[in-house]
Amino acid sequence: MSTRDLIVETADRIFADHCDKALLDAAERGEFPEALFELLKENGLHELALADSGLTLADAFAVFKVAGRHALPLPLPELVLGNRWLDGDAGFVSIGPAAGAAEGARDVPWGRRADRVLAVDAAGVRLLTDQECEAQSNLAGEARDRVSGAAGEVLPDSEDALLLLTLARTLQMAGGLEKVLDLSLTYAGEREQFGRPIAKFQAVQHNLAVMAAETAAAIRAADAAAEALDGDPARLRLEVAAAKSRVGEAVGVVAELAHQVHGAMGYTHEHQLHHFTRRLWAWRDEYGSDGYWQAVLGRELAARGADELWGFIASRA
Amino acid sequence: MRFDSISLPAETEPLREEVRSFLRDNAEHLQARNSDFTTGHDPEFSAKLGEQGWIGMTWPTAYGGGERSFFERYVVTEELLAAGAPVSAHWIADRQSGPLLLRFGTEAQRQSHLPAITRGESYFSIGMSEPNSGSDLASVRTTARREGDGWVVNGTKLWSTDAHRNHFMVTLVRTEAPSENRHAGLSQLLIDLKNDGVKIRPIRNMAGGEDFNEVVFEDVLVPADRVVGEPGNGWAQVTSELAYERSGPERFLSAFRVLVEFARAAGAEPTTQQATFIGRAASHLLALRRMSISVAGMLEAGKSPEVEAALVKALGNDFEKLLPELARLAAPDAGAPEAGAPETGEANGAWRSFRETFADTLLLSPSFTIRGGTREVLRGVIARGLGLR
Repeated sequence: MSTRDLIVETADRIFADHCDKALLDAAERGEFPEALFELLKENGLHELALADSGLTLADAFAVFKVAGRHALPLPLPELVLGNRWLDGDAGFVSIGPAAGAAEGARDVPWGRRADRVLAVDAAGVRLLTDQECEAQSNLAGEARDRVSGAAGEVLPDSEDALLLLTLARTLQMAGGLEKVLDLSLTYAGEREQFGRPIAKFQAVQHNLAVMAAETAAAIRAADAAAEALDGDPARLRLEVAAAKSRVGEAVGVVAELAHQVHGAMGYTHEHQLHHFTRRLWAWRDEYGSDGYWQAVLGRELAARGADELWGFIASRA
Repeated sequence: MRFDSISLPAETEPLREEVRSFLRDNAEHLQARNSDFTTGHDPEFSAKLGEQGWIGMTWPTAYGGGERSFFERYVVTEELLAAGAPVSAHWIADRQSGPLLLRFGTEAQRQSHLPAITRGESYFSIGMSEPNSGSDLASVRTTARREGDGWVVNGTKLWSTDAHRNHFMVTLVRTEAPSENRHAGLSQLLIDLKNDGVKIRPIRNMAGGEDFNEVVFEDVLVPADRVVGEPGNGWAQVTSELAYERSGPERFLSAFRVLVEFARAAGAEPTTQQATFIGRAASHLLALRRMSISVAGMLEAGKSPEVEAALVKALGNDFEKLLPELARLAAPDAGAPEAGAPETGEANGAWRSFRETFADTLLLSPSFTIRGGTREVLRGVIARGLGLR
């Protein structure tokens, strides 16, 4: 088993053991999962992307899909990448897009609990000081706080921060899509109407088939972008654009069909489905929507010219 | 359903350059109106491809093949399709008829047919669908009854691409009366389309082409040695062709030229709406191609990826139809009241080529999700793969 597989398996086991509905409901009520955070640190998950970890970035990023699959109510990408840019020992660090010059950061996951907050923009990340935090949440009830404060200098080796955070969010979405597909297959196999599981009806089978196809495409797209992590940065930007776009588009189809398969039960707060679909909808619009990244990719391809289009598609990652 | 992350081997890059160079040298053959694999029948071009060793690439050299990998074949076929090269004549023979003979045919059949296919000189049609049997292929009624040293075939096949100009048809026939097992009693016969008693009538399609046909068999005598595989094993054999038939880049590249011509007309500084369309289309193509390469990897490993091939085809065909629809709304509106005279308006000049390719492709598009397995059938195959049936 490779190192990456080991990390993924460890993360999967921890998240499976702890990320139950009770934890997700508590997080939505504003309760930070302290015990789980300690457990993550004990297992070294916050140090995966440190310069001396002995791991590639692609190895570290492999856990983000797992986090998405379990709706981990902790900002693992921000923790892992924040520790990287702060060179370790950063406690609970979170990151959000810069809110404008000298205005701090917005949409900071658990900004209210963070020991350190970084603001990210096209130049990289900057550490905020004298923070003041206003608790807010996104569509999924995840903490996404407004943190004002003074921003320091751009930290070293963080010029690709926006891209890495976008990719991390994309991988979380891919994991979430896997989970939503699984839930739907299970539900359709168990829920009986008219004397048989609803999975026996062709209309339902076709919906599930469409979900499976979109999810497969999304996973392949997200993985392809992750594979580009340790390669040419110019290529990485376009791969991340293509992946955020394709995965975001898949979310629209899969989330809608998942709720359709789950019927009224899946529409309740009591059922777990919404914890995943609301996150997919929220994450789809974070760090640039599918439309935003389609325009980025399209402008780049247009600038290269129509006759180079096939060459780009066919070139190896 | 796994689509492993497989990259084309680095050794295929020189081959890709060879194909591009060949296409530049043979540019007069490129139609460039659309990238649909069924609309370019060009025997001269097929023969040139044969000379290059690019037909039957994966077959044993004993039969004229190149013993090359499925990845190498993938590279050649995707370059040809993306360039709008006229590959229809040999496509079916290369893609599935040859592999069928390799898997189930007799040594004599392989010797008789495979070398000529690899030279780009022998073309095959598919004899499966009938007027009353499309998606429900097991219901075919074309019969073959044993008579003396051969079989007498009666019945009608429909939608056989290029039967009016191809040489042979691998024909699915009923050799035993239908029973409770509706898949039993079917066989495949390799029929010479020039045979007496074979009446071929081209059918005009709504795009103005006449490439598919009705083929009527009236007491056609077929020698016994033309059975492919075992009599009665037809269903299993036909099913084995499906992974080949459904898995290639022709299942998501049919509308590619629309994107190219759009990008050409939009120019180096497109509007945001235009850029968004180009990027969205590119993001789909990247994902589809990668999944298709995964399937090629499964074929290379000797597997039969029927579900995966169906999934990629289903996604690919839906994308082929979506692409022109999205392009249309992002292109200048030639029909708007303000559009002015057609010969001087914005829709002329830069956008004319796009409009022609768009119109061609739109008229071809209904066939994308019908041919080779309808969208509905493919979703059923995926559902079976998910364990739902």
